[in-house]
Amino acid sequence: MRIRKELLFGFSLMAIIVIATAIAMPLPWKWTPGHYGLFMLSMVVVTIMLGFPTAFTLMGMGVIFTYVAFQWSSPAPVAMKQTLDLMAIRAYGVMTNDVLISIPLFVFMGYLVERAALIEKLFKSLNLAIGRIPGSLAVATLATCALFATATGIVGAVVTLMGLLAFPAMLRSRYDIKLSAGVITAGGCLGILIPPSVLLILYGATASVSVVQLYAGAFLPGIMLAGLYMAYVVLRAVLNPSLAPKPPPEETRVELPPWAEKLSSGRRRLALPTLLGALASGNSGVPRRTAAAQLALALLPLAMVALPVVAVYGAATSPVEIVDTSGLQVAGESVREALAGGVEEPPSDGVQEPPGAGAAEPPGAGAQEPPAAAAPAATGVEEPPGAEKAAPAPAAAGGENPAAGGARLATPRWFWIVAAAAVLGLALHYSIFTLERLQIFKLLLGSFFPLSALILAVLGTIIFGWATPTEAAAMGAAGGLLLAAAYRRLTLDVVKESVFLTAKTTAMVCWLFVGSAIFSAAFALLGGQEIIERWVLSLDMTPIQFMLLAQFIIFVLGWPLEWTEIIVIFMPIFLPLLGHFDIDPLFFGLLVAMNLQTAFLSPPVAMAAFYLKGVAPRHVTLNQIFAGMMPFMAIQVIALVLLYIFPGIGLWLPQVLYR
Amino acid sequence: MQKVLLGIDKISTAVGKAFSWLIVGLTLMMTWEILSRRFLDRPHAWTFDAQMQMYGVLFMTAGAYTLAKSGHVRGDVLYGFFAPRVQATIDLVLYVFFFVPGIVALAWAGWRYAGESWSIRERSTIMLEGPPIYTFKAFIPVAGALMALQGFAEIARCVICLRTGAWPSRTEDVEEVDVDKLKEMVHVKDQDIEKLDELVVKQERGAEAPGKGGAA
Repeated sequence: MRIRKELLFGFSLMAIIVIATAIAMPLPWKWTPGHYGLFMLSMVVVTIMLGFPTAFTLMGMGVIFTYVAFQWSSPAPVAMKQTLDLMAIRAYGVMTNDVLISIPLFVFMGYLVERAALIEKLFKSLNLAIGRIPGSLAVATLATCALFATATGIVGAVVTLMGLLAFPAMLRSRYDIKLSAGVITAGGCLGILIPPSVLLILYGATASVSVVQLYAGAFLPGIMLAGLYMAYVVLRAVLNPSLAPKPPPEETRVELPPWAEKLSSGRRRLALPTLLGALASGNSGVPRRTAAAQLALALLPLAMVALPVVAVYGAATSPVEIVDTSGLQVAGESVREALAGGVEEPPSDGVQEPPGAGAAEPPGAGAQEPPAAAAPAATGVEEPPGAEKAAPAPAAAGGENPAAGGARLATPRWFWIVAAAAVLGLALHYSIFTLERLQIFKLLLGSFFPLSALILAVLGTIIFGWATPTEAAAMGAAGGLLLAAAYRRLTLDVVKESVFLTAKTTAMVCWLFVGSAIFSAAFALLGGQEIIERWVLSLDMTPIQFMLLAQFIIFVLGWPLEWTEIIVIFMPIFLPLLGHFDIDPLFFGLLVAMNLQTAFLSPPVAMAAFYLKGVAPRHVTLNQIFAGMMPFMAIQVIALVLLYIFPGIGLWLPQVLYR
Repeated sequence: MQKVLLGIDKISTAVGKAFSWLIVGLTLMMTWEILSRRFLDRPHAWTFDAQMQMYGVLFMTAGAYTLAKSGHVRGDVLYGFFAPRVQATIDLVLYVFFFVPGIVALAWAGWRYAGESWSIRERSTIMLEGPPIYTFKAFIPVAGALMALQGFAEIARCVICLRTGAWPSRTEDVEEVDVDKLKEMVHVKDQDIEKLDELVVKQERGAEAPGKGGAA
């Protein structure tokens, strides 16, 4: 029964295309070459829908119609020669395309990160870290998805893995089935949008838009979308707690190591004073060395905040004008805080880290601790628990004051706002930083921080122009190797699998590109583009109308076609039109990326749903999963509208960085 | 016949897998180059050509390998729901109409293109004394020929399927989403999912009889 419905859906889509073509086109004997181009276009869509490999459909049709176009003006042998020349040049062009070259590297990185098997740790530690907020499991799922999908970019694997990990956890906590399914499917698709994503590389290569700017532009919209998802989940959980009940206590219990058991003696104790006390008294039953090492760990968040703040201070007040990175810092901080409920997350410092180093950061390296930071904190702390909350604050602020003298520029006001926010965040952090939380922090060190460091290092080097996207991709792949090695998963089998999968995925994308290169050449030669342009211009649309129409067409195409096909076939048609309407191809690309993401969630062809169904318990129906995805699809549309109304969300960062 | 088909698969797979290791080389070479340029102040101009060639050869030779494992992207609105015979008919017709002209043109065009380059021992012009690129261009006809061979195998498979009503088997290969492997990775067993199913059923019952639903 369901199968029939699917077939009906596909065939009716196909029929609509055929009928629309038949109506729009003049009678066959009146066709100009341009009409042959349009005919070719609709034929390609129909053939792709039939299910023949797209790359070869494009290639074959491209070759045939290129020949048709050439033989209008030249005799057959010449036309044949021209066709072959064009074919070879187009193929060679793809082989030497310096944008596409980052695809295998990013794909390789993705497969390696996936196989490093840190998703389980990541999910568990994030879940423990944000256990207090409503709907914590769902929010942790989204955060895990966002991070993991960003690093791997493989929708199927992320949804499957989260279906195995998070779905059972949520069901055991009696979460609503639909909500749980929606969270996993929506979260798994985030990797399409958040850079480094292959979609943006492909768009950049097709539209000749700088991938760097696309990455910078897609970053905030991606974070915004993830944030909207989380806000929605929290809101639902607050309004109707039975949808997302608190998990049973045994699921959120943190195992304390023996030394911590001894120190806490069954009560909830703040980490800093307890450890300092143990260090000072020496007769708490815990060796001083253990206490010192743990204290160093506990002070790591302080260092993570203080170092960037000091660095920003140096940059902001140094006599030389420096790119305004401060804004990014603020954004990164507030976003991070929003992500984790503003409690445990020390603001990200990964942006400033050297590319390779962050990935392999050894958990618990006490040696990196600046002793200066520890000393004032140690002296400032006395017994009353209220006092030490503030202690790190003056320590952090005091360190900067003396430097303010000399020939430095006056400290801008925004800096003090940033610094105050950092101090406040730290105070808040340490006021709830119990021994249990120290334990959670250590778990995060082993999963969350290496992965975010990898992503931020890759993105940071690209966005700040320290490396080309290709170079950053190579560094990312090397980082993936290191990550897999750090988790002791770098076996020959893992490398082999990743290498072969990389080859297949790259071949799939790049052969598609070879096909579309010859196809778009044929389309241009036949003059199909001119007919479309004339028609669109004759409609006399405003830019907004055109934009809406374009996005709507892309959305509809997302049903029968894959995003790769839409980008390589249809973007070359839309792009020349953008100039007429004064639309920035960069902005258009961001909208397209956001839009195509919805295609993964729109039934009945939503891939994410089928991946989840594949690992879900038997009685979870596809309809339940679809129903769960709907609100998230609505959020995507809202995000799309938001991005359209406030283009600054996407364009602000590229403008700040590359004016 | 099946033996011949699997033999062709084996050739494509072996070539594709052999060249797929270039990704490791590419990663290491570029990482080393970046480090060398940044920290040793010793850039190497030839790496630009080298990375291009590694990438080009990697994906061109992997084309036939991917085809042998049915890895090329297909529109999946209808195809998956067709009976094997219908699938085979569509494939057969479209292989003959589109694949054959496309790939033959590619191989032939590549042959002439590479031949011209080979006869003048063409070198890269990106830098002075660039590395040879005629060998690189030679991969176009090579990949085209491999593709054509694999395409022949695929066409034969369509014919077999039309006759028998079932697709002939292929050798297995590593898959992007291998559910069993992923289950192993996160330590989930089938029994666990079975157990979970009871919870699902319970929740659905709870939904039918409101009031009992939220009770944990």
